[in-house]
Amino acid sequence: MSVASFTVPTVTRAQVSADGLADKITIENLDFYYGDHRALKDINVSLYQGKVTAFIGPSGCGKSTLLRVLNRMYDLYPHQRATGTVRLDNQNILEPGQDLNLLRAKVGMVFQKPTPFPMTIYENIAFGIRLYEKLPKSELDGRVQSALERAALWNEVKDKLGANGQSLSGGQQQRLCIARTVSVRPEVILFDEPCSALDPISTAKIEELIDELKDDYTIAIVTHNMQQAARVSDFTAFMYLGELAEYGETTRMFTTPNDRRTQDYITGRFG
Amino acid sequence: MVMISGARSPLYAKRRRRNVAMMGFSFGATAFGLSWLVLILGVLLWKGFSGLSVAVFTEMTPPPGSAGGLLNPIMGSLIMTAIAVAIGTPLGMLAGTYMAEYGRYDKLSSVVRFINDILLSAPSIVVGLFIYEIMVAQMGHFSGWAGAVALAVIVVPVVVRTTEDMLTLVPDTLREAAASIGLPRSLMIRRVAYRAARAGMITGVLLAIARISGETAPLLFTALNNQFWSLNLNAPVSSLPVVIFQFALSPYKDWQNLAWTGALIITLAVLTLSIVARFLGSQSKSS
Amino acid sequence: MQSTRRSPVVDVALQAGAMQTAQEQVDRSKILQRLRLGDIGFRWLTRCAAITVLIILSGIIISLVHGSWPALRAFGPSFLIDETWNPVTEKFGAIAPIYGTLVTSIIAMLIAVPVGLFIAMFLTELCPMWLRRPIGVAIELLAGIPSIIYGIWGLFVFAPFLQQHVQPSLISAFGHIPLLSTLFAGPPYGIGILTAGLILAIMVLPFITSISRDVFEAVPPVLKEAAYGLGCTTWEVARYVVLPFTRVGVIGGVMLGLGRALGETMAVTFVIGNAQRISGSILAPGTTISATIANEFTEAVGDLYTSSLIALGLILFVITFIVLAFARLLLMRLNARLGS
Repeated sequence: MSVASFTVPTVTRAQVSADGLADKITIENLDFYYGDHRALKDINVSLYQGKVTAFIGPSGCGKSTLLRVLNRMYDLYPHQRATGTVRLDNQNILEPGQDLNLLRAKVGMVFQKPTPFPMTIYENIAFGIRLYEKLPKSELDGRVQSALERAALWNEVKDKLGANGQSLSGGQQQRLCIARTVSVRPEVILFDEPCSALDPISTAKIEELIDELKDDYTIAIVTHNMQQAARVSDFTAFMYLGELAEYGETTRMFTTPNDRRTQDYITGRFG
Repeated sequence: MVMISGARSPLYAKRRRRNVAMMGFSFGATAFGLSWLVLILGVLLWKGFSGLSVAVFTEMTPPPGSAGGLLNPIMGSLIMTAIAVAIGTPLGMLAGTYMAEYGRYDKLSSVVRFINDILLSAPSIVVGLFIYEIMVAQMGHFSGWAGAVALAVIVVPVVVRTTEDMLTLVPDTLREAAASIGLPRSLMIRRVAYRAARAGMITGVLLAIARISGETAPLLFTALNNQFWSLNLNAPVSSLPVVIFQFALSPYKDWQNLAWTGALIITLAVLTLSIVARFLGSQSKSS
Repeated sequence: MQSTRRSPVVDVALQAGAMQTAQEQVDRSKILQRLRLGDIGFRWLTRCAAITVLIILSGIIISLVHGSWPALRAFGPSFLIDETWNPVTEKFGAIAPIYGTLVTSIIAMLIAVPVGLFIAMFLTELCPMWLRRPIGVAIELLAGIPSIIYGIWGLFVFAPFLQQHVQPSLISAFGHIPLLSTLFAGPPYGIGILTAGLILAIMVLPFITSISRDVFEAVPPVLKEAAYGLGCTTWEVARYVVLPFTRVGVIGGVMLGLGRALGETMAVTFVIGNAQRISGSILAPGTTISATIANEFTEAVGDLYTSSLIALGLILFVITFIVLAFARLLLMRLNARLGS
């Protein structure tokens, strides 16, 4: 690769850098352990407000693990722990004594496998809203509708809100899960390989959705599909064997990467 | 965008409180459940242990007011249990073999599986009535054989279930390997599948024994009871559970004490069998 | 004609194959013939054994119907609602034992189901890992204790305790409330329907707990994570996600427990008081079908008496058969759904 003739903006820890980017989540010196096995090694990266950050890398490189630190999902399982600092709006969420329910209300997650709750479509959305707000029925109806509209699902389900959530197709179920996540009004949305179980048409719809959502939310997406990362994200982080190999603006990462490993991965030398 | 005010919201506080309360309930429920185990076993050990002596195993059941032991009921129980297992195990194993090997997907197996599971939980007193009708009424008298057959009827469903489960676990690749060297089906089952499932099937037999050791109802009107030492199976035979039943409900203090001791003996036997069965079962799973 | 060169190994093999004589071929087919007969025999044997299970069930039903025929013919359908139980006048009615069976089982389920579900929730959500196995084993030990032990423990320990400490307070607490005062009317016997129901509850608890725990553990972790991801508390995940998902399995387990409670004999016989009547108070003695049979069968004189007792057995068998069949169907549906 030719030597870059322009300076690559190194986006690290500045609060608001010259480009007008505001830090939403700042990760410093993050290590993660499954038992004694160190799965994440000294990660330092920032996620910016209103931008989509993609995490790519070969299987087992730790990208899903990293995502699951951000809403402390690993807390559900023994023998998994994280050390270091993860700041959400200047508060370290790794500190003990954190209210995890509140954290997870702020940082929502969409999983690889669509997971509608065993309830009606309406209830799937209303359930999340009711957790935090006491609303009269009319207002609740409006909120459910707007969440489903946001997820581009309203037209398809508006006549069958009473049907079971699990009766929808795979792509529709995933959009239902996105609607559910959005209805709780988080600030950050984490997508863990959201399209890997879906067909190309549903995938395209969800990528459109992510593009629309980024105006209001900070989004992190883990994907093993490089083209998806290139289509959807503003910033890309390439991870390799538990380390953050390289990080930067997406267009630059995919055209002129600095790190040899990034280049090899992108050009398909290994996968 | 409305930010969630978080900890200060009354709705959230209510949710927190309810969560704590429910978690407290579940902890309390567990403590509640476990405490019964402690209470029952504790009393059993305390009351039964004091009566435990060599005499219990060497002397016969006494008339009220004198000292004695539990020799004849223990003997009767052992004999009838042994016969019940001898009858029920082969029957159960063969039936389970059919369901797992020859007829795994056919109609007969599904029906038998359904019926078997019902028999597994059926009231044992009904089994006693059944054997009464077909054996005691026909023979004209109570007998140890009737008692043993009643117990066998309880053994069969247990053995059928475990045999079928264990044989189904044996991988098909093993069966194919046996077939490829020309081994006929029945030999393949007997030499290969049984051996692979051996630990599990023994576990099933042990569980069946544990189950019938404590059964009283089926014996009440089949084998009845016998105060004296008798090895004649054509006549009433005493058994430990029935003797406990009789002694405990009597107004005599020494009979009641013997009942407690007998109860302790049965419980220890059942628990030991269960622990051995579980140990064998976990071993076969790990191999 | 020049033959194509073959390797020496092939030559030897061809020669060895050719060495199987006609005699050996005859012997081999004889052996295979014998083996095949043995095969057919074994297969036939196992098939008969499987059919025997069906024969046992039919045998039970036939013998019960046959044995209860005299009583059913003598009393007709009124047998089910008559409260008389008089061996002297040979007039028998089943309502008191049926009532006792149903009420004790209902009391048992009212206690055992919530407690069992909460214990299952504790074991799957809250309990530290190292404690799960021991508690699970303890629950199974509770299930393995023979029912006669529950019986004598109930008679000598539990009933006196209830009589002295619990029942007086129940009687006075509900004494002034209109409906409940008859339900909890004294005197405090110690033994009685409530006591029997409580003992049954302790007996049924381990079954409900272990079946519930097994179905709870089968919930896909992703589903629970999705709920936690919304910020749900542990209780909310259990109530709104786990329980609806496992509903069919839990009901199947409850039905199984109910089937056991209905048929339980020894634990109940010791503490039910054996009174052949229906009382308004659950603190009073009563009887169940199995307790009646257990207590009176060996002393029954006269065909009608014996036949009435067998008729009771038939009623019990029919009730438990329906409950257990329902449970089995539910669990079969659950397995089909999980497997797909």
